[in-house]
Amino acid sequence: MTQPARPAEGAPGLLSSAGRVFDLSLGQMLWSRRSVFLGVLLGGPVLLASALRIAATLYASGLKINGVQAGGSAIFGMMIWLLYLRFIVPVLGVFYGTSLIADEVDDKTITYLFTRPIPRSAVLLGKYFAYLVCTVLLVLPSVMLVFFLVVPTGQGAIAGAFPSLVADLGMLAIGLAAYGAVFALVGTTLRRPLVLGLVFAFGWEPAVLLFPGYLKRLTVAYYLQALVRHEMPQDSAVSMLMQVFREVPTVSTSLLCLAVIVGLTLWLAGRAVEEREYVLEQ
Amino acid sequence: MTTRTRYFVIVSVLVLGVGLGTGLVAYYVGFPAGALGRQGGPEELAYVPRDAAAIAFANVHEIMTSELRQKLHRALPMQENGQQELQNQTGINLETDVDRVVACLYPDRDGTNTPGAGMVLARGRFDEVKIEALMRDHGAHVENYNGKRLIVADPKDLVDAGAGDIAAHGHSASLSLSFIEPGLAAIGSTKLIRSAVDLHRAGNNPRTGLESVTGNDALMNLVREMDSGNVWAVGRFDALTAHTRLPEAISSRLPAITWFSASGHINGGIRGVVRAEARDDEAATNLRDVVRGFLALAKMSAGSRPELQLMMQSLELGGTGRTVALSFSVPAEVFDVIGAVTNKGFKPAH
Repeated sequence: MTQPARPAEGAPGLLSSAGRVFDLSLGQMLWSRRSVFLGVLLGGPVLLASALRIAATLYASGLKINGVQAGGSAIFGMMIWLLYLRFIVPVLGVFYGTSLIADEVDDKTITYLFTRPIPRSAVLLGKYFAYLVCTVLLVLPSVMLVFFLVVPTGQGAIAGAFPSLVADLGMLAIGLAAYGAVFALVGTTLRRPLVLGLVFAFGWEPAVLLFPGYLKRLTVAYYLQALVRHEMPQDSAVSMLMQVFREVPTVSTSLLCLAVIVGLTLWLAGRAVEEREYVLEQ
Repeated sequence: MTTRTRYFVIVSVLVLGVGLGTGLVAYYVGFPAGALGRQGGPEELAYVPRDAAAIAFANVHEIMTSELRQKLHRALPMQENGQQELQNQTGINLETDVDRVVACLYPDRDGTNTPGAGMVLARGRFDEVKIEALMRDHGAHVENYNGKRLIVADPKDLVDAGAGDIAAHGHSASLSLSFIEPGLAAIGSTKLIRSAVDLHRAGNNPRTGLESVTGNDALMNLVREMDSGNVWAVGRFDALTAHTRLPEAISSRLPAITWFSASGHINGGIRGVVRAEARDDEAATNLRDVVRGFLALAKMSAGSRPELQLMMQSLELGGTGRTVALSFSVPAEVFDVIGAVTNKGFKPAH
């Protein structure tokens, strides 16, 4: 059993403590079994992009989607929407965010961290930053490779698509930060965070976005999708329905709301870690 | 942080840095055309500015060596003084030296209501010194532009050099020639040649508004469909007709066509397809009716001429929605018949 404890006098502050936890956690996160999953998840789009590039090189007629010639920029936009925004970013958020504290509890190593003379919330903060750096350093290079493989096909121009790439990289980093923070809160407050996280990311969010009304404002995707510069693909009836009921907040509103989500959820998660009594199963 | 973690971070940051750096260079300075990725259509399109109203291509080498051309050569022994004269003056042998030609047209590019600007990009083997000397003899002067030699023929120069007839016949804008790269000659209006040089040097640069036609999706979608032809042309019909000084009676009767494309493959015979995209479904139906009427008339007329019957039978009207397509195939036998008929007509009387 670990009980909340006050840091000792002269103990390092929140940020320096978080820095130390970050240093320790980054390596653990990168070289864990979860990283294999992460590698497969992010290697998929790169392999797909390589296959598309080979196909575009072999067949002079280029790539066609539903019989229509598809430009490299359009395919890249579609990959950003379908692979990264709707799948990879929420999945990484769920798997890494919910496990920030839960893993330590499961491994019964939380005691070692909580008995250090540092604020408990620094543990969460350090781990959150480690998650953010780990995922950002994996996701963004993957997007970069996909961009340079896909965009030059079908007459696409690197120069013309570059501003949207920069926007995509920023949007994905913000998405990882937002989803990570939300699921960090879920992971610190609930007993079965993974199940609830998956339900939130792949049940609640897509479902609510389908209907008109205010409920969609209680999702991360609503604000994140406003930052995407590519056209939303209409690949299925669900996507078309989403397109119909799509309300797009302004970029500044979205950024502000996402910043509030990150700040608020991290603060709540920090409070939960500070106040919660973690019972380690024997 | 362990060593391998540090290496991972360095590699990731490096990938990001190189990618962003490359993108930034491409965005601000431009990217040499064709540096990353293969362009659909002939690679010369990378030097054609984006707002072209029409593009045409001919694989001169394939056409010159085609069975059809050899057959016509034998059947219709034409005077080839023009070809010989061109070779004497420029050293260019059309049969062997020119591989392919890409031409583009820009109606009223400067907004001055002039007939329009154009450019021809010819790929082959050229005697650059001889061509430059020839142009200088005719009053052209040499300029340096972004590291390339531009042989510029201003209308005033042409008049001074006694080539006033060229200047007087509508060439009010200056013409230039430049060897953009070894074996690639660009000839056309000076502004276009300068744009081609810029595109060759730096590629697309959206920041400065310089982009090649490869970024013009509407036109490139048509170009990509032309892969099977060794001669083709695509363009915006409305843009071309808007700037041609057609009599009102004709221009008012022109069908409402937005895009057109014509593609042909010349080898033993000629097969090809002419496509037009009408403004709407109704215009397409009207156009189809008109073409159908002409086809019926042509087939009726061909009934008495066996040499044309084969060709008429191959004519096929197609297309759905806004597209109207007319495909045809002229078999080699038709040219045999035409050759025989023409030779008969040319036979000297004894």
